[in-house]
Amino acid sequence: MIDLGRLDILSLIIFTPLVGALVLLLLAPLLKLARVDIEAERQDDLMRWGALLTALITFVLSILLALAFDNEATGFQFVQAVDWIGFFGIQYKVGVDGISLVLVLLTTLLTMISIVASFGPIRTRVREYMISFLVLELGMLGVFLALDLFLFYVFWEVVLVPMYLIIGIWGGTNRVYATLKFVIYTLVGSLLMLIAILAIAWTYSQATGTWVGAFDYVKLVEFGFDPTLQFWAFLGFFLAFAIKVPMWPLHTWLPDAHTEAPTAGSVILAGVLLKLGGYGLIRLNLPLFPDAANDLAPFIIALSIAGMLYGAIVAIRQPDLKRLIAYSSVSHMGFVTLGIFTFNQQGVQGAVFQMVAHGVITGALFLLVGVIYERTHDRTIAKMGGLGQRVPVFATLMVFFSLASAGLPGLAGFVGEFLVLLGAVTWEPWVGYVAGFTIIFAAVYLLYMVQNIIMGDVTDFLKGLGSRLTDVNPIEAATLAPLVLLTIVLGLFPALVLDLIALPLEQVLDIVGAVAPGDASAVLLP
Amino acid sequence: MTGDTLLTLLPFLIVVALALAIILIDLFLPDHDDLIMAVGVGGLVIALVAALAIGPLPWDMGYFAAPASIGEPALYTRDLMTSLLDLAFISIGLLTLLFAPDYLVPRKLPLPEFAATLLFAISGGMLIAGGQDLLVLFIGLELLVLPGYLLAGFAKRDGLSTEGAIKYFLLGSFSSAILLFGLAFVLGFTGSTQVSDIAASLGAIFDGSKPLPLALAMGLAMLTVGVLFKIAAVPFHYWTPDAYQGSPTPVTGYLSVGPKIAAFALILRIFVEALEPLRGEWALVVGVLAAVTMTVGNLAALGQDNIKRMLAYSSIAHTGYIMVGLVVFATAEDPEVAASGIQGVLFYSVAYAFMNLGAFAVVAALQRRPGVTSQLATFAGLGYRAAVPALLMTVFLLSLTGIPPLAGFFAKAIVVLSALEVGGNMTLLAVIMMLNAAMAAFYYLRVVVYMYMRQPADEAAPVSIGWYTRVGLWLAAAATILIGLFPAVTGAILEWTEAAAVALTRL
Repeated sequence: MIDLGRLDILSLIIFTPLVGALVLLLLAPLLKLARVDIEAERQDDLMRWGALLTALITFVLSILLALAFDNEATGFQFVQAVDWIGFFGIQYKVGVDGISLVLVLLTTLLTMISIVASFGPIRTRVREYMISFLVLELGMLGVFLALDLFLFYVFWEVVLVPMYLIIGIWGGTNRVYATLKFVIYTLVGSLLMLIAILAIAWTYSQATGTWVGAFDYVKLVEFGFDPTLQFWAFLGFFLAFAIKVPMWPLHTWLPDAHTEAPTAGSVILAGVLLKLGGYGLIRLNLPLFPDAANDLAPFIIALSIAGMLYGAIVAIRQPDLKRLIAYSSVSHMGFVTLGIFTFNQQGVQGAVFQMVAHGVITGALFLLVGVIYERTHDRTIAKMGGLGQRVPVFATLMVFFSLASAGLPGLAGFVGEFLVLLGAVTWEPWVGYVAGFTIIFAAVYLLYMVQNIIMGDVTDFLKGLGSRLTDVNPIEAATLAPLVLLTIVLGLFPALVLDLIALPLEQVLDIVGAVAPGDASAVLLP
Repeated sequence: MTGDTLLTLLPFLIVVALALAIILIDLFLPDHDDLIMAVGVGGLVIALVAALAIGPLPWDMGYFAAPASIGEPALYTRDLMTSLLDLAFISIGLLTLLFAPDYLVPRKLPLPEFAATLLFAISGGMLIAGGQDLLVLFIGLELLVLPGYLLAGFAKRDGLSTEGAIKYFLLGSFSSAILLFGLAFVLGFTGSTQVSDIAASLGAIFDGSKPLPLALAMGLAMLTVGVLFKIAAVPFHYWTPDAYQGSPTPVTGYLSVGPKIAAFALILRIFVEALEPLRGEWALVVGVLAAVTMTVGNLAALGQDNIKRMLAYSSIAHTGYIMVGLVVFATAEDPEVAASGIQGVLFYSVAYAFMNLGAFAVVAALQRRPGVTSQLATFAGLGYRAAVPALLMTVFLLSLTGIPPLAGFFAKAIVVLSALEVGGNMTLLAVIMMLNAAMAAFYYLRVVVYMYMRQPADEAAPVSIGWYTRVGLWLAAAATILIGLFPAVTGAILEWTEAAAVALTRL
């Protein structure tokens, strides 16, 4: 453990991407002013490396944070609070606990990888793209670290704009439709969440006679709202998060957004953006509205299972690689919501673990689809075949991540799903059994996909590409290598994550009032 | 007339004097547009400084620490609302003036006359802001709307402009007459034209237990219809799209904020201050109309492919949002909550002024070359033809959508918060408002889609924008961003609007 002294490390992490974005924004005009003449091509490279450097600094800072983090302390660490809008007691308040820490690490890592993965594919308006990506990172980090509900909402909405642009400007042919659908869905949810935020803040300020602390997460959790308000406010928050996760039947924006987004956009969308929803459920819905959470848990679990099965079954029939993975996301994220609402240690720990694992594995799968799309400009499963003969490294990676996604023991995907199923069985045995079918379906669609594109004879379509169908190049390998490593490490040593999240999740469960039968990592690690 | 009397009216007097000065300059030195702009902009900046200096401001600053009035009983008062709205109107005048030359000069429309007419209109709004007598309020209203008709028809050789102006004039005159009729009923019933007298005598005879006397009910109904016309609430909104689309674009920008905010000021003075005891009587009507107004405005805006028409319908939606603040005032039992509704009205008006003017200014700037239409297609690829205006337009549109941390977001948040404070049915209204905001995102973002996600048409000419417009755009964008992002500014306006609202609701 290292000591960071009085450094406001969290603000540093949140705003480093913003500083980077501003530098990129002002670089071109400044160069012009200084009469430095560089050709557009070099300027684009400058933008790429500038963005990567920013993401790298942010990543290093988040590693520093992890090293300085004390995972045996309760409550939030590195808390920084400054008055923002004193009139309503709104603060700029940030803090970190184990849950936010693992998601911050996931965010900084995937952002860095995504920026590298954009080096090749993004050829137009590189500057705007990189700025959008850095602002996106700012918003995501802010959501994970905010401890003031108003601030949380602001960051939540900040995420929306760059993603809207990334899909809408650099996306595929049907990008405008996809991006508007994404924005409208998200906005409907988040605006109702705003109502819920304002309503509970008002209730708090009425009860205490002051606006001071009315948006402060810690104080609101201690407050305890009356059941009627809890019910409605829970729904307000839940809708926003359920759309983001996305839960069936609010998922329909996801396949479109994923299909049209550029590769790196898909990676971040699946890797981090969906986790914002899961994080919100754990961080806000459970502790703030424990009564409503208990009342509504059966319904949400029913929706989760419906989504898990639906996503998996629909994925089997998808003709497009990206759509297949998108529906698999719907299915896999069902595990997350299922685990959260079982209200036992195994379930919630599994949910958080599943968020990390899904981020890593699905991120990698989208990168791989990007690799093949760069070469073939096609994602149709039917046109592929025999890739194992032509591009062996790619094929190996594809098989590896598909198996990880299907939940092969020893890899990261297994741990989360296993824990969630354990939690589900504890909650109600038959629910666990039904949910277990999802894993079978997952094996079906993933192996079917692998069989179709990797095995068999090389299709005429691929033959027609000739020498253009090359194997994974060094840059692509560099983006995938850390994810391979993480998938194995997290699969073999799940305690790395579980130790971080156990304590804060226990506190959440204490509030929800569920019994916590033992530490989940004990089940896995004798 | 003492010195203080003059000082009370100083910002108003400066603006009127400025208008007269511009007419005189034009008389003796025709074709000196730059001189006109220098005098107009300089004079308005002086008026801005003067309004700030004499106050009253909510932090015991300014020359007047307490509200100051003219006349005994008061005809015009300079309280916190007056000073705030004075600043708003002067800013609106300043920005509109800055946006005008780019549109008018290439079309050979006379700038000096435009400037003078605009300044007279602004002064009308300023008179309403401080009016304490029904007659003063009505004079202010006419001073506001008569130049407005002229401005709407300013491009007199343009058929659309004339058509819009005539519609605006006819409906405006009718509504003024209806309003005046309503005022007459109130005068007949209470025997006074004085705002505080009316409130006092109504408060004494009417406690809400008995049904409203017929005469008063008639008066109230006519007043309601009159002001709903002026703020363009549904179902009295039909003049808006034609008037807005036909008017020269800088005028449209002005029409969408100036007269609207002035009409809300009129509502604050008449309905909130004078008819306060009757507030429960119009709560239901205004509440339902608020929901209908925002929904109809947004639904109609969804289908528009002309951006001026789209912004016209969206301004109807914003009217609906602001009306929510009024309903809060009318329904709240807790006086503090009632004041927070009025605070929402004032805050929203100020925020709305800057973002909406800015959005119209970008449209106007594109039309610098005569012949460029305001069809959505003219925005295709703007992000790559004119990076800065497109970026600023994005800021304005995001603010209008209500994305944090911009001014429009705080405006919506404050109005919604006040509605939630009332609870009950008002929560439903808050939900309707938020769903509407999500619907609005669709058409606001469609403009962004055109700017960044569509290729420009082949014949799209390069965009060149004059210096006045650039300065104005940056000012409007700065206000939009500062009100949202800069805590000191947000806090200051929050405190100011709250103090003004509390004073207005006499708590």
